[in-house]
Amino acid sequence: MLKCTINGVALEVKPGTTIIEAMNNNAQRIAHYCWHPGLSVAGVCRLCMVEIQGNPRVQIACNTMVTEGMVINNTSDKVKDAVKWGLDFHLINHPLDCPVCDQAGECGLQDQYMEYGQYDSEMAEKKQKKHKVVDLGPTVVLDSERCILCSRCVRFTDEVSKTNELGIFNRGDHAEIGTHAGKPLDNKYSLNTVDICPVGALTSKDFRFKQRVWYLKDSETVCNGCSTGCNVKVYFNKEGLFRVKPIYNAEVNGHWMCDEGRDTYKFVNLGARLTKAYQFVSGTWIENYAGAAAKVAGANLKSAKAEEIGLVLTGQHTVEEYESIVSTFVNTFKTKNIFHWVNNKESFESFDGILLRGDKNPNTKGLLQVLEKHGINASWSQLEEGLKSKKIKHLVVAGPENTFVYPDLEQKMQLFLTAENLVVLTAAKTPALEAYKGSNKITAIPLKTYIEKDGTFINFQGRAQKFKKATTVVSEALTLSDAATLMAGQDLQLHVASPREVLVAEHIRADQVHLESRTKNEFVFNRGRL
Amino acid sequence: MAIQETKYLTEFYHLPEFKGIDGYKKNGGYVELEKALKMQPQAIIDEVKASGLRGRGGAGFSTGMKWGFLPKNNEPRYLLCNADEGEPGTFKDRMMMEKAPHQLIEGMIISGFAIGSKKSYIYVRGEYDQSINTLETAIQEAYKAGYLGKNILGSGFDHDMDVYRGAGAYICGEETGMISSLEGLKGQPKLKPPFPAVQGYLKKPTIVNNVETLAVVKYVIRDGAAHYKKIGTEKSTGTKLFSLSGNVMKPGNFEVPLGFPLKDMVFGLGGGMKPGRQLKAVIPGGSSAPVLNAEESNRALLDYENLAQMGTMLGSGAIIVIDDSNCMVQCLSNLMHFYHHESCGQCTPCREGTGWLDKITRSILSGKGRLQDIELLLKVADNMKGKTICALSDAAALPVLSFVPKFRDEFEYFVREGKSKVKGTAYKGHSYAEMHH
Repeated sequence: MLKCTINGVALEVKPGTTIIEAMNNNAQRIAHYCWHPGLSVAGVCRLCMVEIQGNPRVQIACNTMVTEGMVINNTSDKVKDAVKWGLDFHLINHPLDCPVCDQAGECGLQDQYMEYGQYDSEMAEKKQKKHKVVDLGPTVVLDSERCILCSRCVRFTDEVSKTNELGIFNRGDHAEIGTHAGKPLDNKYSLNTVDICPVGALTSKDFRFKQRVWYLKDSETVCNGCSTGCNVKVYFNKEGLFRVKPIYNAEVNGHWMCDEGRDTYKFVNLGARLTKAYQFVSGTWIENYAGAAAKVAGANLKSAKAEEIGLVLTGQHTVEEYESIVSTFVNTFKTKNIFHWVNNKESFESFDGILLRGDKNPNTKGLLQVLEKHGINASWSQLEEGLKSKKIKHLVVAGPENTFVYPDLEQKMQLFLTAENLVVLTAAKTPALEAYKGSNKITAIPLKTYIEKDGTFINFQGRAQKFKKATTVVSEALTLSDAATLMAGQDLQLHVASPREVLVAEHIRADQVHLESRTKNEFVFNRGRL
Repeated sequence: MAIQETKYLTEFYHLPEFKGIDGYKKNGGYVELEKALKMQPQAIIDEVKASGLRGRGGAGFSTGMKWGFLPKNNEPRYLLCNADEGEPGTFKDRMMMEKAPHQLIEGMIISGFAIGSKKSYIYVRGEYDQSINTLETAIQEAYKAGYLGKNILGSGFDHDMDVYRGAGAYICGEETGMISSLEGLKGQPKLKPPFPAVQGYLKKPTIVNNVETLAVVKYVIRDGAAHYKKIGTEKSTGTKLFSLSGNVMKPGNFEVPLGFPLKDMVFGLGGGMKPGRQLKAVIPGGSSAPVLNAEESNRALLDYENLAQMGTMLGSGAIIVIDDSNCMVQCLSNLMHFYHHESCGQCTPCREGTGWLDKITRSILSGKGRLQDIELLLKVADNMKGKTICALSDAAALPVLSFVPKFRDEFEYFVREGKSKVKGTAYKGHSYAEMHH
């Protein structure tokens, strides 16, 4: 270990650590644009200037290794002046169109200007004109005038996605980011370029112009798009969820996530959700409260023969929920007819070498562990035969919340609909149920999504990742555990509402989102550092 | 006695036959190669180090020391000859390549042998069509004669040489920019460290030397370090080729020992001013070197130390003479336009700063200058200096930091009056947009 002093704080760092890494790891602020911990060092923004004792010139922290006994500071007037000028060079040709820029509120230029700038510009000449609204591909739009040419996006496509779509064309102050003709920015990780863009040059087609970022709250959770379980932050407000971004976890996803995972917010929002319980009785759908519907369904099961009851589970729920529902079925309903619904069987084991896995469920491992614990080994063909021979008459299905990754949903639903009494616990609207015209009894009960509950996912590595509830979208929806408790005939534990919850409950309609009490708009502060 | 050149490298340049291999051999060619191949490589490096030879491309770094930075192992390594010669005012390498290509080739084979490189490239400026053709012919001749290829002259040493044609970017004259270009990448300098001697072309140890530097190696072997050291001054040894241009009667390339008075170069070898004109300023080391005024020019000596003492540099040895018929504001604007055009755009201070300086000088020329623009020029230049990966930013800043203080009256006059202080320079400033479209 090397000893060094940074801004008066004595630190020990590993040999081979750069100054900027040492500062970043020890929560010391340093201005920078081109450096990113997940990419190679470019050393071009020239903003991360530090003063090293014994060296008359300020140095860039990103390409200078810490040496034994080094005394470093970045708070002296000399450094501040260098950063101020570095920032000014970034800004002279920048359009300063913050009022119409999507990045405003989380922009590196704004952050650094508030810290190092706050001067009047001396630039009196005409600004450089560049291309605007450049369509880079299906997901990303470029505004070249806002671009500060930090090359983060170019290095991302070179080093991480290894797709090499982006490049810097021309030179000097007319250089621009671009793609080659006929080779758009189109890869499964393209939106990471938007995340790492420190300014508003790259914007997401999905998110742009939807919300000002200061109207969004955020919460950390685990992506439920596949079995990798990337650590993510979801951004939401009372209108719903708006975007998902990765957060750093060296053991799981590094700094990145895939574009598919970013779409997972879409099935959480109200438009895709089942908001009420429905019962199909004698040819018509009757609306009911979720809790009441679960109790009725449970009572029906209790009066049925144990061997006629079946339960279908997907890998989309939490470990806690599996434990609750499986033990209810084993202990209360005395059945071990519990089946694992595997979607896209063919690609289940596939992996793209970066993050994306073929198993599109966040918690397959968790489900298998709970099933094993309870000694359950029923096969899918047993279910098919059971339904065909009418041996299984009462079927409870905990359906997927992310229906996009269940291509066999329709086909499987038709299979389940052959049961005399079908209870579908699902977060998503299910067209196959709505279209049903037969005479069987159906109950559909709304479930919460991963955003709306606490729980644990076990990813492909066997790593258990706990997450907290971020917000509520469908207030009446149940967790799988709630449903199990109610079906077992018990009542839910009375939850003593906080004054805030009472306030929310009184003033907001039941189907509206209410916010978790998060006060700090965290990403604004984090953005300045990363 | 009349002021004369010291023809050391250029001794036979007047002979047209010196260009071909036969003429070259008749006049002492490839003798030193045979001698060198019998020496220990380290002995050649030591000899070059002892000779005090300093890089002729611009930075003036000790050649022997640069070679010494190579790792001491058997890793493949490359020798690159920098023949990009982009510094405005410099045209000596072109003459060397076109009049004596074998001199360079021989110097390179000896250098390659010394540093243990089996492959070398000559990176020639794209516009130098004739140089490229001459070199390619000469390399073929050298292969035929057994000076290149496998087992050169039975020594067991293999060496291959290729010419690589640049595409006209100034920045590719910077050694790491050249390496990027040679690798097939965009010509942009690389972050240092690692330095090319440790990790250069294709991430292998690489030595980049100027045409003139590599040619001199032959003469260090021929005469020995002790003899070579006697030429020039104590710390600036040897002769140097200077490209004299601008307002002199006889511009051209001149070889003189280092330490030669600038005055003798301009008024002696260069034939002095045109009738009725007075010397106003001299840029002594290529367009990026700080300018000297007439008084300074009269006492300057052409060696690394003296010019450094006077706040400028020897650079590539391009002496640009400016007489009193020129407006210094226009001269600076011209330079700024060049650097604006040539900045690779990688580092922000250079990318934005060169454009800013260009626009400010252009705005002064068009009569729209503000008095604070003069201070602003200095502030911008000062903050570009030493803040970037390569020296292009400094190259753009240094002229500003010398032109403005030394000829401040001309800048102030232009801003106040909206026209040049120098009569007869009816310059009509054109807008930035016109320059580019």
